[in-house]
Amino acid sequence: MQGTTVPNILIVDDDTDLLEGQSLFLTQHGYRVETAKSMEEGLQKITSFKPDLILADLMMEQYDSGVVFCKKVKENPVTARTPIIMQTAAPQEIGFSPYTGDAGDRKWLMAEEVLTKPVALEHLLKKLEQYIRGAADE
Amino acid sequence: MSESLNVLVIDDEEGMREGIKRILAKRGFQVKLAQNGESAIELLDKNVFDIAFVDLKMPGIDGFKVTEYINNKIGNRTVVVIVSALATVEAAVEVTRHGAFDFLVKPFTPADLNHVTDRAVLQSNLIRDREEYLSQLNGERNLSRQLINAMQEGLLVLNIRAEVVLINPKAEFFLNTKFKPSMHARDLFFDKKLVRAIEDTVRFADDTKTNRHAGKEEHAKGITRVFEYVQNGSMLQVRVDPLVREGRVNGVIMIIQDITEVWKAEQDKNRFVSMVAHELKSPLAAIINYNNVIQTGMFDEQPAKIHELLERCNIRADALLELIGDLLYINKRDAGKIEKSIVEVDLRDVLKKQLDFYKVQADKRRITLEFSVPDEPAQVRADQGDLDRIFMNLISNGIKYNRDGGSLAVNMKRTDGVIVTSFSDTGIGMSRKDMDNLFEEFFRVRNSKTGSISGTGLGLATVKRVLSEYNGRITVESEEDVGSTFTVYLPVS
Repeated sequence: MQGTTVPNILIVDDDTDLLEGQSLFLTQHGYRVETAKSMEEGLQKITSFKPDLILADLMMEQYDSGVVFCKKVKENPVTARTPIIMQTAAPQEIGFSPYTGDAGDRKWLMAEEVLTKPVALEHLLKKLEQYIRGAADE
Repeated sequence: MSESLNVLVIDDEEGMREGIKRILAKRGFQVKLAQNGESAIELLDKNVFDIAFVDLKMPGIDGFKVTEYINNKIGNRTVVVIVSALATVEAAVEVTRHGAFDFLVKPFTPADLNHVTDRAVLQSNLIRDREEYLSQLNGERNLSRQLINAMQEGLLVLNIRAEVVLINPKAEFFLNTKFKPSMHARDLFFDKKLVRAIEDTVRFADDTKTNRHAGKEEHAKGITRVFEYVQNGSMLQVRVDPLVREGRVNGVIMIIQDITEVWKAEQDKNRFVSMVAHELKSPLAAIINYNNVIQTGMFDEQPAKIHELLERCNIRADALLELIGDLLYINKRDAGKIEKSIVEVDLRDVLKKQLDFYKVQADKRRITLEFSVPDEPAQVRADQGDLDRIFMNLISNGIKYNRDGGSLAVNMKRTDGVIVTSFSDTGIGMSRKDMDNLFEEFFRVRNSKTGSISGTGLGLATVKRVLSEYNGRITVESEEDVGSTFTVYLPVS
């Protein structure tokens, strides 16, 4: 929570078209957007960019890149309060142990929310407002 | 009746011995003679006799003692006929008490002897038949036991108290246990639902009224439960059925099967489907997003930008079509519906044709294509299309993942009945971890260097499958930022 008037959004996804599309749209709607093509790049950019919210893909370099990314962000005291919204084309666990339990059990995923791709851009805007304005109201 | 039975005649009178022998020999019997108890016992120790004619009154070891001796032998089947001058009832009773079968009174006619012999033969037959039945029964029981022991499924039989009455070696293996008396279902299975199901099945066994109750019929149908046997990582399926005899539930029979293979295949299939969904949705998401962006009107004054975004949509749409094509191909291939014609093909021709085809693409990025082939023919027996597909994939990758101005060198050799073709590029290379997963369906190396490279992730997986159908194989070596070498091995025809 930076108290700046223009919120910073970091989008982390290995699909460059998704990065471009969402970036153009969000910039048009008054956000400052930074993109990262991999989990590593995402982690690097967090410290310099200081996002107010992060949009991240579930599956990047590895099947569980998104999960690892979340964990690292939440475990770092500097970035722990940054809300993370996961975007994924396959909301059910891909490539995780087939023996895990219910779909609703997401203790292993430390994101605030999971959205199913393709995410309607208007819907995305609403979600951003929910999390960022919600934080701003604190 | 002329079976060749073995007969022993014991009598201290030579005339009697020879007389009986003569008559019995006419029936085809093998007759041995003994003149007293001692020599009779010697013969009995060394031979098996079907019938014995024993004189009662002999010096030394008398007829009774010999009869007792015979009957005390384990598994005795000798039918004893006592021969004696005494014809009293007491004598007959005495004889029978000592285990003799019949009594022959001296003096006797050949007809008398034959009658007694007939009865003795019948008895002997009965004894032999019984031995055979018992042996068969034992054999069958042994056979059943062998089958139960050899079963690849676990077999358990529980009684109405849910105690184990039978457990075969495979079940002992699955449950990591050994049979103990009074072992209960509870001791074997940690799955409470399973134990309850077993107990429910037997609980109604005692109550014949409830057995007939319509509502309880579901228990008569049995249930199937799957549980994971964590100890050795297998997935086991347990089938519980009531053991019904004469309309009553007598116990429970359980079959345990190892379904790990099937389970894994199911998981693989599920994962594959998830992956497909993901791969199909991603390009659509990109296209929809770009469309939405254009629809906001933000680029109405910038036709060039709109054009650029629409071009991206086209590229993603093409990639999507290619993916769908690949998936359908794999599906057809797996279903065995691809028509193939296996012919003699010279791999040198396949290589040259594919390199020609990709020259244009390579030139666009100033990538040099070099190759060398053997002087003698490189014949394989395969479908032309399959070989094209293999080479296409490898050459395409060698260009896609290459750097501008780099090179792709293809080297074909023939050694020891195998044609070895290596594809070496000066591309971005990959890590050890990437190499481990490289041939999996949908796997694509994803890092900052591969962001703009399109692909379905199915190419190498398909190459590997196709190669294995021809007893070929593929290996990869790579160094990040240096390049990769893929080597294909195919047997010469």
